[in-house]
Amino acid sequence: MDPECSRLLPALCAVLADPRQPVADDTCLEKLLDWFTAVTEAGSSLLLLQENPCLVELLFHVLKSQDLSSRILSFSLRLAGIFAAQENCFQYLQQGELLPMLFGEVGPLGGAAWTAPAVRSGWIQGLRTLAQHPSALHFLAACGAVDTIFSLQGDPSLFVASAAGQLLVHILDLAMRGPAEGRRSPQACDWPACAQKIVGHIEDSLCSTAIPQVTQALSVLTTAFGHCHGLWTQGLWVRLSPLVARLLEKDPVPASHSLVDLLLSVARSAPSSDRGLWETLAQTLSHLSPTQAGPLALGILKLQDCPQALRTQAFGILLQPLACVLEAAAQAPGPPGLLEGAAGDSMTVDTLLSSKSACVGLLCCALAHLGLLQPLPQRPSPWPQAPLLGAAVTILRLCSGSAAPTSDVGGRLCAILVGCGRVQRAALDFLGALSQGTGPQELVTQVFSVLLEYLVSPESSSMVLKKAFQATLRWLLSSPKTPGCCDLDPHTQLFLTELLPVLQKRLCSPCWEVRDSGLEFLTQMTRHWGGQAGFRQALLASEVPELTKQLLRDPESYVRASAVTATGQLSSWGLCASPECPGAQQESLLVELLHILSTDSEGFPRRAVMQVFTEWLRDGHADVAEDAERFVAGVLQAASRDLDWEVRAQGLELALVFLEQLLGQRGSHCPYAVALPETAPPGVLAQALQVLCRVQLFEFAFRALFDCDRPVAQKSCDLLLFLRAKAAPCGSPQEAGDSPNVASVEATLQRWQAGEQGQPLGYLEPGAVVALLRSVDLEGLRDTLAESSDHVEKSPQSLLQDMLAAVGVLGENEADCY
Amino acid sequence: MPEIRVTPLGAGQDVGRSCILVSIAGKNVMLDCGMHMGFSDDRRFPDFSYITRSGRLTDFLDCVIISHFHLDHCGALPYFSEMVGYDGPIYMTQPTQAICPILLEDYRKIAVDKKGEANFFTSQMIKDCMKKVVAVHLHQTVQVDDELEIKAYYAGHVLGAAMFQIKVGSESVVYTGDYNMTPDRHLGAAWIDKCRPNLLITESTYATTIRDSKRCRERDFLKKVHETVERGGKVLIPVFALGRAQELCILLETFWERMDLKAPIYFSTGLTEKANHYYKLFIPWTNQKIRKTFVQRNMFEFKHIKAFDRAFADSPGPMVVFATPGMLHAGQSLQIFRKWAGNEKNMGTVGHKILSGQRKLEMEGRQVLEVKMQVEYMSFSAHADAKGIMQLVGQAEPENVLLVHGEAKKMEFLKQKIEQEFRVSCYMPANGETVTLPTSPSIPVGISLGLLKREMAQGLLPDAKKPRLLHGTLIMKDSNFRLVSSEQALKELGLAEHQLRFTCRVHLHDTRKEQETAVRVYSHLKSVLKDHCVQHLPDGSVTVESILIQAAAHSEDPGTKVLLVSWTYQDEELGSYLTSLLKKGLPQAS
Repeated sequence: MDPECSRLLPALCAVLADPRQPVADDTCLEKLLDWFTAVTEAGSSLLLLQENPCLVELLFHVLKSQDLSSRILSFSLRLAGIFAAQENCFQYLQQGELLPMLFGEVGPLGGAAWTAPAVRSGWIQGLRTLAQHPSALHFLAACGAVDTIFSLQGDPSLFVASAAGQLLVHILDLAMRGPAEGRRSPQACDWPACAQKIVGHIEDSLCSTAIPQVTQALSVLTTAFGHCHGLWTQGLWVRLSPLVARLLEKDPVPASHSLVDLLLSVARSAPSSDRGLWETLAQTLSHLSPTQAGPLALGILKLQDCPQALRTQAFGILLQPLACVLEAAAQAPGPPGLLEGAAGDSMTVDTLLSSKSACVGLLCCALAHLGLLQPLPQRPSPWPQAPLLGAAVTILRLCSGSAAPTSDVGGRLCAILVGCGRVQRAALDFLGALSQGTGPQELVTQVFSVLLEYLVSPESSSMVLKKAFQATLRWLLSSPKTPGCCDLDPHTQLFLTELLPVLQKRLCSPCWEVRDSGLEFLTQMTRHWGGQAGFRQALLASEVPELTKQLLRDPESYVRASAVTATGQLSSWGLCASPECPGAQQESLLVELLHILSTDSEGFPRRAVMQVFTEWLRDGHADVAEDAERFVAGVLQAASRDLDWEVRAQGLELALVFLEQLLGQRGSHCPYAVALPETAPPGVLAQALQVLCRVQLFEFAFRALFDCDRPVAQKSCDLLLFLRAKAAPCGSPQEAGDSPNVASVEATLQRWQAGEQGQPLGYLEPGAVVALLRSVDLEGLRDTLAESSDHVEKSPQSLLQDMLAAVGVLGENEADCY
Repeated sequence: MPEIRVTPLGAGQDVGRSCILVSIAGKNVMLDCGMHMGFSDDRRFPDFSYITRSGRLTDFLDCVIISHFHLDHCGALPYFSEMVGYDGPIYMTQPTQAICPILLEDYRKIAVDKKGEANFFTSQMIKDCMKKVVAVHLHQTVQVDDELEIKAYYAGHVLGAAMFQIKVGSESVVYTGDYNMTPDRHLGAAWIDKCRPNLLITESTYATTIRDSKRCRERDFLKKVHETVERGGKVLIPVFALGRAQELCILLETFWERMDLKAPIYFSTGLTEKANHYYKLFIPWTNQKIRKTFVQRNMFEFKHIKAFDRAFADSPGPMVVFATPGMLHAGQSLQIFRKWAGNEKNMGTVGHKILSGQRKLEMEGRQVLEVKMQVEYMSFSAHADAKGIMQLVGQAEPENVLLVHGEAKKMEFLKQKIEQEFRVSCYMPANGETVTLPTSPSIPVGISLGLLKREMAQGLLPDAKKPRLLHGTLIMKDSNFRLVSSEQALKELGLAEHQLRFTCRVHLHDTRKEQETAVRVYSHLKSVLKDHCVQHLPDGSVTVESILIQAAAHSEDPGTKVLLVSWTYQDEELGSYLTSLLKKGLPQAS
């Protein structure tokens, strides 16, 4: 601990112990504990307490004080835990009997303060931190803490109850680890007393008729199998699995959700040869309702090693709801369904038809689970791609009302699902995920047709439209190319001609979300297909490019930003211009984007412009390449005046691209490596510096170096370091040493650094630039800037000062939440 | 047993991030999704893992409702929807929808790029999150699904702030968010109708405070600003772009006009237009005075307040500058602060560091700044005080009250006050604690026209104040309940009618023949039951309404006759009366 903190600590402890002094705000105590954790992790807690006796005094004082706030009491319990985590410090505190007084029955546990959840939580957290060594185990046993933890498992506070469960697992693990771990037999009879007690309690809870108790036991076991990896966990499972299996005999299965979590947790940690476990899993799958069994089925299918029969059973559970839908909606006996041979499970059908919420819940879960499974390498094989596609399309049609099932079940499903946004969103996500696989052309055509139906439908909400656009994009980009030809296949081409008028309409939507999703879709499509003749032809024949340009003046800034990105992308592929007069159109776009950069009142469009410009410069966009110097000068001038620092930072990005084009790439192995620079040849360098001076890049970069916003200054520092490495490597001869020009510039820079940035730098000679680059301590500045802006505020001294300064002021300044 | 369950994940006995989970009739709603700006790690967001424990978020939660745009109420939203994975609908009012992303974006820029924090949402995430928002109008009932509906009420506090009623069937909860019961210079007072919810969840920031009049605070503010300007000083007022800033602008504008002051007042560039834009767009959300004068003059177009330019900060002489951000941690307000802090003539209203007395500040790790300027803290926050909270409880007439967004000690005081005054239960759960309230659900039942007509035919007109019994058959068909006449029920269900009769044997000592016993029974009943229709039928049996009495000889004892009495359930009362009467025996023949 640094001396300044040591000096402040006694005063702070006095403030904390004084019930008349409220604590500044609830984050201070948390931050104080963070700091003590860091200090004790770095050194000896015992030494800390010996050097700062005020800390122990504080703990004693807290015990004596009657009217202390629950926050301070909770803080003290946690603080004591942090100190006692080191065994020698634990002994030291034990000598003074401090720990039993804090954590035993004579402490807050027996008092009125215990009613505050913060105190109970502090008690648990204190013990959790403290329980790190054998002495702690003895202490816990002696003060009867374990029984209290048992009762806290049922605490009215979720946080306390959950922490109690975790603490039990931690104690169990601590008791079972230790020197004898390797020698412990799987039979639990020779386990330490503390572990026996906890396991006994879990056994009792598992046999209880009260569901909350069963839930508690299951979640403790889930944590144990999830976090502890000792051999003893196998023994624990051997001992407890019969009790867990007995839960399955009850109808309905109690605490099914927790049971699923436990079984999956065990399955993930158990060796694959455990037949008993697989049997339990299979039994559980068949006992649970379709909705409850879904997560278990997904978990089983994600396991690496698992018997094939169980996987088939699990996959069947996930497919069942979709199979029912397919069967119900079938007009006539068609191709084999999802679950060949097996008719729709009656329980699943019952759930689907029982109520709208049950139906929607089950379908959404099944779709989400299958969507998660789809990209995994361990997904079931063969993957029923075609029937799944069919099911997704059918569900979407039932939701839109375009399906007309003849069966009774189908009709009822249709009535439940029609217009249901939740199922529509889930099905569109799933359909998008299925684009990774192939399907028969007939089905793919159906996919595109249902997607188009959704994109056209006036009933589609903005979120549904967004998902429909996303799914369409995924299907379009995954559509097969004609072999030996780089153009689109005829089906896709046909679809495009239908799609573009729809996109056109959506770009005129009164809803900004829809216009924006449409533009994002267009940008992505152009990025991938800008070079495809078919796409270009279809796009240029539509009004989409023109509309996109009009959206540059949209009232919504998000839309303007997306329009900037989209037009930028279109222009990169030469898709902005009408074939008659390409030059004029492009010119006007550049001017228009520059206009947005200098005048738009919102940051998003201006940032988007900077990104487009940077991309144009990098890719050698024709209009930029024509007169790159003039372009860069104009953009930097506009960016330097911008109030949004992200625009200024993006300006530096553009400047860097320009520099690299002039002087060559930065070292690719490390972006900011300056150790081994490849200096540019003198002739090229002189010319480049001239150019950089003409576009006033230095004025921009130096101004940014002293920018009020740290990321800008950082970026500028990196840029100048790169430039120095290229232009003025160490040891190269001085060129324009102490010319009067340099002196005045240095003076200006100093004023800038002091915050007075009114004065311009004036025209700089390349020589002066090189001299300046040498004279400014860029490395020092880089190190200073590497620290976050609030590092001072975050320092422990600052925290202690703040807490002390708040004393007495607080009453006047009421907590002001805006 | 149906119940309403409430669990605060934030704002339970604290004024940090608001996030309250409500379960009502099987529907789960999250009220607000706030962020704690005091932390820069995961603790800044509510611990959503408590929700994900019960399965996928989107399947568990039916919707999220945001009360207003302050970050302690909406700051965790993009994290929740784009990083934790909630994919359902988010409801908020239109002004909140418009302003929320601006504040989120501002905060993101500070957190991620300036402080270099990881695990934070991006601009794109904010946008994607805002696309999930469904805007609601005041007093418009929005159907979240077939059963769950919500309705917004005006809350004052800031532009677009709303209280929300959440209703499933006959059960309802009202969540106030932050609200203000007294109108200020640009917003009106909160209002709700007498909706009598099962539960009112109210903020309690000023649970124990009866705030001094706003006029006093305003006078104090004007006096201090005026004094500073008079002695040639500069006044820096760090503000958030929208909200209090507009109120203070109106205040200064009016004062400058009245006092004919010449010192310039500036407002951060870009923000004036932005603020103007939103206030014009959402003029119905402002108070009556502003709405009224809007046609002639827009109160947000100021004569004395001009757009600020960076160069102005270096100008000599007095001036007042409103600069963002309000916390003085970055941007323009920080730049100006750096320039002016060294002069004791100047005044600023600044963040907690300077406020708590620190006079030396290290700026951006580059220089130490000595603060010589005067520093004043003035609170213009618009929360209801104790009186206002009581007023709202009185207005809504809830069955129960639950306090959030306040300090435990103050809540305790208000809880007692509410319980005493309104005779309702009041709760104040800590974060993570669940309050469970049993409710008695009312199930709507349709009544057939035929049944009603039959009742009307009896001359009894319905009267809301005098409930009365109505006999009918309750049938459930297609998840609907209907009360119909038994005939109609039989017809609809295609069932045959069966009659259920209660029977009883009464032994009478009588040596006469059965027919004579029957005549004696008839005469006795005729004399006792004057209001009932007693008949002696040709077959010898006696009837009283639906009750049938037949006399028979005793198989073993010729001196005893057996009376067979039977009746339907409609005459249950009369039947049992008759049997007890007959059991007492017949009067001796005179």
